[in-house]
Amino acid sequence: MDIAITGLRRSFGRVTALRGVDLTVRGGMFGLLGGNGAGKTTLMRIMAGVVAPGSGQVRVGGYDMTTRSGRRDVQRRLGYVPQDLGFYPDLSPREFLDYVALLKGLDDVTARRRQVGELLDMVGLADVAGRRMKGFSGGMRRRVGIAQALLGDPALLIVDEPTAGLDPQERIRFRTLLAGLAGQRTVLLSTHIVEDIAQTCHDTAVLAAGRVVYTGSVTDLTRTAEGATWQMTTTGAPPTDGVVVSAVTREGGTQYRVISQARPSPDATSVAPTLEDGYVALMRRHTPAPAV
Amino acid sequence: MTGVRATLAVCRYEFRMQIRRRSLWITIALVAGALAAGRFGMGPRYAPAPPGAPAREVMTRWAFLFSVILPIAFGMALADRLLRDRRLRTAELLASLPPGPAGRLTGTFLGGVAATGAPALAAMLVAAGYETVRRGDLTMIPWGLAAFAAVLAPALVFVAGYALVCPLVLTAPLFRVLFVGYWFWGNVLLPATLPTLTGSLLSPIGSYAASWLLGTPVLYAGIPGPLPVLRPEPTGSAAAASIALLVVAGLVPLLAVGLLRGRRRTA
Repeated sequence: MDIAITGLRRSFGRVTALRGVDLTVRGGMFGLLGGNGAGKTTLMRIMAGVVAPGSGQVRVGGYDMTTRSGRRDVQRRLGYVPQDLGFYPDLSPREFLDYVALLKGLDDVTARRRQVGELLDMVGLADVAGRRMKGFSGGMRRRVGIAQALLGDPALLIVDEPTAGLDPQERIRFRTLLAGLAGQRTVLLSTHIVEDIAQTCHDTAVLAAGRVVYTGSVTDLTRTAEGATWQMTTTGAPPTDGVVVSAVTREGGTQYRVISQARPSPDATSVAPTLEDGYVALMRRHTPAPAV
Repeated sequence: MTGVRATLAVCRYEFRMQIRRRSLWITIALVAGALAAGRFGMGPRYAPAPPGAPAREVMTRWAFLFSVILPIAFGMALADRLLRDRRLRTAELLASLPPGPAGRLTGTFLGGVAATGAPALAAMLVAAGYETVRRGDLTMIPWGLAAFAAVLAPALVFVAGYALVCPLVLTAPLFRVLFVGYWFWGNVLLPATLPTLTGSLLSPIGSYAASWLLGTPVLYAGIPGPLPVLRPEPTGSAAAASIALLVVAGLVPLLAVGLLRGRRRTA
């Protein structure tokens, strides 16, 4: 399912969340990166038909999201995992999925039950399918979230911050699950965790202050920091020229990883950048300099 | 998916979630039990029907005994149903699904009303069973159902409409406090004391329906007061008008919210 967005703007009262977004997504797994308040969630909500676009053009799978009928058409083909998805504590995962399936229009009882069972099995919740969700852990709830999104075999899957708050093992499991789903559909993954994009997406876009500041491959984003990624060990003060990406205390001093156009210190060595370095370098370019 | 199917799906699960609330069953059991036990001290109107009284009178007396307080429990139980999706953070997901807000609202209303009415209906059936055994009259059960439908069900529909919608503006705790105040002002307080709807067609305590079933005015039906047009003689047609007015008045706030949400979704 292709997505084509041009000049998208959206405000909530006096707050402008999106300031003219242009973005094209052509199937597969696509990552959306950006800091808090960059506009990712608003963009996701617009594509999920929860919020109407303010101005500009948004076409998802050819459907015009500025119209009510277009949003309804997309919602019939959509699986959505909102950023902060809650559940009905009195329902079991099986009941919750059955409820969502009914609302998605899966009217055939046998087919619905079979699909609910298969999805619970796929996300590893078959053993607790009949237990009320009251006592479920964050990871278990996320898995119910992804299972409900897959009901009806949607052509578009929108997943907003799916791994926030999960332990490393659950995160890896979740990422693998998502990557496996992208083969047959468009998966839009929004996150501020760079590692999730690095491990799952070929293409990505970066949002900053309501605008798309990068769109392209993950490899090219990584290259943004080529020749500007440095590593140095010192017992003195941290380098002031550039952005410190990491600091690890070792014997003989603290090892810093720094993004800087100029060598931050004579003993700093140039190293190969990671996606996180590329992201930091890009954001540095698009962050306004502090007023003097 | 048609709107009707979506509405039925919401109704089915709203019913299931509401009926599982232990607090609903406990509250209604306690209130109904306390009313049944205390009715001997509540004056002759609430006292048990005399021996040999027809089933119609016996069961109507039970219905209007329950209607004095039980609708307050309905209001308390329903006050959080529309707020809950926001509180439980399921509203965003529901908004991303094809059914529109009108279907969800209707389903929530129907499911909530059915589930909240179930313990009250159970209380009426227990009373009918008790009277059947005590008086040896099997028609107690159908008359119990009829009295429930005429006296308690319209009150439930009326209360449900406001209990679902008002907390969206007032918050649930504030609504609950104000609702208890309203109940006594609009159903118990006499118009001679303060301008009130007590004894009018819009009094959800069921005074007109109970008066019609008993064949004598009870619960202040038709008592002189403000808006005389709403205070006709308690006859069969007045009872029907009261039931219809209560149902329509209960649906008005739902309709308003449905239109508002529909417009917001279109925007």
